[in-house]
Order: sequence, then structure tokens, then C-alpha cells
Amino acid sequence: MKNPGQADSMEKLDEETFSIRDILDSQLLTSDGRRIGRVADIEAEVDKHGTFRLTSLVMGPQALAGRVNSSLATLLGFLLRDRFENQIPISEVKKFGPTLELRGKAEEYSVGQSDRWIAQHILRWIPGSGI
Amino acid sequence: MWKQNKFWQQAGTWLGLLMLLAAVTACNFTQSAFAQTANNAGSAFAAAETTLAYEHAGKITPAYASSSFLSYQSELSGTDQSLISQATGDKRTLHRLLALYMPAMQVVNAPCLSNSCNWQKQLTQLKNASAAFNEAGS
Amino acid sequence: MKKQWLSITLGIVTATGGFLDAGTIATAGEAGAKFGLGLIWAVIVATIAVIMLVEMVGRFSAVSKKTYAEAIRENLGFRFYLFPLISELIAESLMLAAELGGISISISLLTGIPWHTLFPFVAIGIWILAWRAPFSLIENGPALLGLATLAFIAGIIALGGVPTHLFPTLWHPDFQQGTGADYLYLVAAILGSTISPYLLHFYSSGAREESWSTSSLILNRVTAIMGMGFGSMGAIALVVLSAIVLQPLQIGSSTLGELGLVLAKPFGVIGTYLFAIALFATCLGAALEVLLAVSYNIAQGFGWEWGEDKKPAEAARFNLVITIFLLIAVVIGLIGIDPLKLALFASTVIALFLPISLAPFLILMNDKQYLGEHTNGRFTNIVMVCILIMALLVAIVSLPLEIITGGG
Repeated sequence: MKNPGQADSMEKLDEETFSIRDILDSQLLTSDGRRIGRVADIEAEVDKHGTFRLTSLVMGPQALAGRVNSSLATLLGFLLRDRFENQIPISEVKKFGPTLELRGKAEEYSVGQSDRWIAQHILRWIPGSGI
Repeated sequence: MWKQNKFWQQAGTWLGLLMLLAAVTACNFTQSAFAQTANNAGSAFAAAETTLAYEHAGKITPAYASSSFLSYQSELSGTDQSLISQATGDKRTLHRLLALYMPAMQVVNAPCLSNSCNWQKQLTQLKNASAAFNEAGS
Repeated sequence: MKKQWLSITLGIVTATGGFLDAGTIATAGEAGAKFGLGLIWAVIVATIAVIMLVEMVGRFSAVSKKTYAEAIRENLGFRFYLFPLISELIAESLMLAAELGGISISISLLTGIPWHTLFPFVAIGIWILAWRAPFSLIENGPALLGLATLAFIAGIIALGGVPTHLFPTLWHPDFQQGTGADYLYLVAAILGSTISPYLLHFYSSGAREESWSTSSLILNRVTAIMGMGFGSMGAIALVVLSAIVLQPLQIGSSTLGELGLVLAKPFGVIGTYLFAIALFATCLGAALEVLLAVSYNIAQGFGWEWGEDKKPAEAARFNLVITIFLLIAVVIGLIGIDPLKLALFASTVIALFLPISLAPFLILMNDKQYLGEHTNGRFTNIVMVCILIMALLVAIVSLPLEIITGGG
């Protein structure tokens, strides 16, 4: 009820993965203090003992659409073909919580590159943008 | 998932019913469209009258007055058409209002903000129109 | 510490911009002109509600270091976050267009230049301020000009106080010039224009921009009460003034210019200047607040870099949202609807969506993870439930009224 989108992930991941709720939608903060995005989805795998293990955080419009509606996700998948989807391996996370602190700097991640793209391709034409 | 949808469906139905109820109550509460249009126009003519009077009394600047009159213009234009389409039955009131609307609207379109023209007459025209429209609207 | 107390101006600007804006001026003026003092109760109820809400959202951001939008996304998930986001985008774009129109009208009243001509220039001016002005300027500039709203109170005194024959309209409103539907429509509009979601997003983001902490809680409480109280006083004064001046003349207050006559009567030309400045200041403050609040909301909800004190390139997506949202409002404004009508309409649209925007309060303000020992007490929770029920009732009533009264 509280978070409809994560219901599906919960089913996949069993009850013991209590931290899923804390990870989904968390703020991603890089080591140089930049906010690059929020966790849209997660990827997990089953190891040989049969337990689920988080492998990576997923970001991007398709992953977000999946949180809203599966057919919307299919539609976006058809249109965007994974072009804007990004992943960050879980090992990159230094500290868990409502804000996930990452080990690397902003430029090391593909997430949030749109910030730089917008600054360099759109904002630079506007006076006073600070580029 | 399915349970949730059902909950929302029910909630939606109730909300819809409540809105319908509110709409029905509000309908009994409200004036006819004709009266409402007349009322709005009466109020705008009254505002125009006061604005013109205040301008000649030196209480507001000509700039303020002309800016205000532009708003009255857009507020009032097309009122005659609305009245004609909304009129039910009583043709006499309609004709009386339309006869007052024309000259008053001319004043709103070209208010006399200096002393070189007959603003007193304009004032009377606005006053007559606002009185008649307000009466028809109440 | 001194800086903290100085930031009490955050409250006053949030009040002049968030409480007093085109919507409040429109609703207060029309309320007084049509129903005498009969809608003051609605202003007072809305004020109490907004003081509570602002105090809560300020406390939340000071203690948890999270803004309202961030917490909604983190705690209630992306899908829930979309509901308030989309409803606020619709309502606030209308409101922003109305505020821009209000600024244009205020300049038009001073210069006589048609407001349609001024509108594009006003939009550019707002964009420049949002693009580069530091947060403190956005905060303090309109706050100082907003003191012109004190003229409404001075006006009542100059006209010899509230005439005794008006007092019975406090509990027995005058239905001569309006109807029951108009009355209910105005109740909804007063609530929507007073309790605007943008106010809450702006305030909670402002608390972060100024790095409030647990030690700011007293400051937060004082700001909420003083700031909203100041705004409310201005609104009530306008209701009274408009009841004294406009109601006897049978002026329904359907354009902003005629509303300025309430100050022309006691003070003449100076009064109209004061009215234009007050209108300018409140709409300027509100336009910036709406614009920033929506951009804050989006940037925070999606986890992007945000902040007014950063260079645009350092928070590129945030600044792009500011620009695009302003463009949308400009397009709406260019349709040419009278700003006062648009403001009234926008206020009722806000009222319609208000329950969605306020519902998260009940959950977030009781979350110990965020607030620790500073969660809501029992009394505040009861008041919050009352506010939500009231918002829900008003929302249910406002849509059919919208259709029947034809938007005012």
C-alpha cells in the first residue's frame, strides 16, 4: 500500500531483504558531494545457496516506468531501447541509508551525465550560466 | 495489486457520487446564466463609473484609469451576445439592457479622461447601465 | 545565531509571496466585495491550517535534513510521488501564469501601458532573477516591498475603522450580490490560495538552503506564526477594506484595477501607488516561489543537484526545469485570460488537489527515522486529520462548483 511499485520486487526478493525498501528511491551522493539521481530499481541474483543477493542499482526512465506500470515500461523500452538506462554495482556504495554515499566522483558514473550534457549543450548558450 | 485496484474503484465511485450530490445541491444554489451575466456586467459598469469619477476627482492617475479601462473592456466585450443567447422569455428586459449596453460600452472603449470632453455624460451612461444590469442580475 | 534570527525574513517573504499572492488578493477582494465580512472565518481557518503545515514542514526539514519532496519520494515511493507532482504541475503552472499577469497589471496600473504588452518582459525579468539571483535576494527583496500591504490596514483606519453595520455580516453574510454557489466557490478558493503546496515546498527547501538544524526549531515556530500571521492580517484587511469601499458601490471586484480603488478612496493617487507596489511585491515574491518550488520539487524528487546559490551549470537539470516551467506558464499567460480570473481558477484547482499534496504529512510527520523525538504530538496529529478532512470536503465541492459558476 505504501509503495505499490516495490511490491513486485518484494515478491521476487523474499522477506529477509528488508533493506530493499530503504534502497529504492534513495538519493545517490558521490564522494565529491554531488547529487546524481535516485535509485529506480535494483537487480539481484540467486547464488548457489539459493539466497538472493543484490548486485546493482538501476537508474533510468525505463526502470522508473516499470515502477508505475508494466505496459508503460514496455512502451518506453520499445522507444528508448535501453539508451538511457544506467547501472551501478552495489559494491560502489560506501554507506547505506536514505542517502547512498558512493565511493567515486560524479564524473565516474554514467548516471547523471545528463547534467553535464545539458550544461554543455544547452545552458552554455545562455549568458550567466557559469560555464 | 488486484485488491488495490478494487479499493480505488470503490473510492472513486463514492467520490463520484459525492461530487454529483454536491453538483445537484449547488445547482439549486445558483442563479440563472442570464442573471449571472447581467450581474457581472453591472458590477463592471459600476467599477468603470467609479474609476472615471475618481480619475476626474484626482484620486487616481490617468495611467491607472486607462489601464483599468482596458480590463473592463475585456471583461465586458461580448456581454450583449451572451445575453441574447442566454435570454429566456422576458424580451423586454433584454432589449432594455441591450439599449443601455451600447452607449455604455462606447464609454468603456473610449473613456474621456481629460476635461476636454463631456465626461459627465459618460458617467451618467455608465451609471444607468450598471443600475439596470445589477437590477436584472439580482 | 544572529544569521538564524535574521532568516526570520524567510518567513515573511514566504508569507508575502506564499500567503499573499495574486490568488489571495483576488479571493480576499472578491470575498469582501460580495459578502462583506462573511468570509473572514475562512481566511482565519486557512491561516491556522497553514501555520500548522508550515511549522511541520519546517520542523521536518530542520531535523531530518530532507525536504518535503525528497521525503515523499524516499518514503512513499516513486509511484505515489507522481500524484502530488502531476497535480501540482497543473495547478501551479496556472498560478504562475496568474502571478506573472499580476506583476504585469501592477506595472500597467503605474504606467498605463497595456498589461499584455508588459507580460513578456515581466517573464524575462522573472527568469533572470530565478537564473542568477542568490536565494537571499529572492527572499529579502519582495519581503521589503511586501510591507506595502500594511497600507490595507492603514486604509481601514483612514476610513474611520470598520463601520458597525458590517459586523453582522461576520456570521450572517450578505447574499444580495452573490449566491450560495459563489459563496462556496470562494471558500474553496480562499483555502486553495492560502494553503498552496508550493508554499510548503519552497519553505522546506528554503530551510535546507539556509542549513537549518534542530537548533532552528524555535526560529521555525516563530517564523511560521509571525510570517503567516502577517500575511493573514493583510488578507483580512483587504476583505474588510473591500467590504467598506466596493460593496456599497456594487462593484464585484472582477479585475485587479478596480480592487486598487479601495486604497484610492482614503489616500488618493498615493493609495493607488501603494496598491500597485503591494500587488507587484506579492506577485513577484509568489511568482519566484512558485517557479522555484516546482523546480525544487522535481529536482529533489528525482535526486538531482539543486540550489539557488549554485551556478546554473552546477545544477543544470534544476535550472533547465526552471526555464521550461516558466515557458509553460508564459504560454498559458499569453492566452490573455484576466490574471484575477486565472488566479481564482488556479486557487480552486489547487483546492481540488490539496488532499493529495497534504496526505503525506500524516505519515512523514510521525516517522521516527526522520524526526526522532520531534515527531508530531497527539494534538498536532488530530489537527492534521481535521485539515485533511476539510481539504477533502472542499476538494469534493470545488469541482462541480468550478463548472457551475463558470470559474467565478
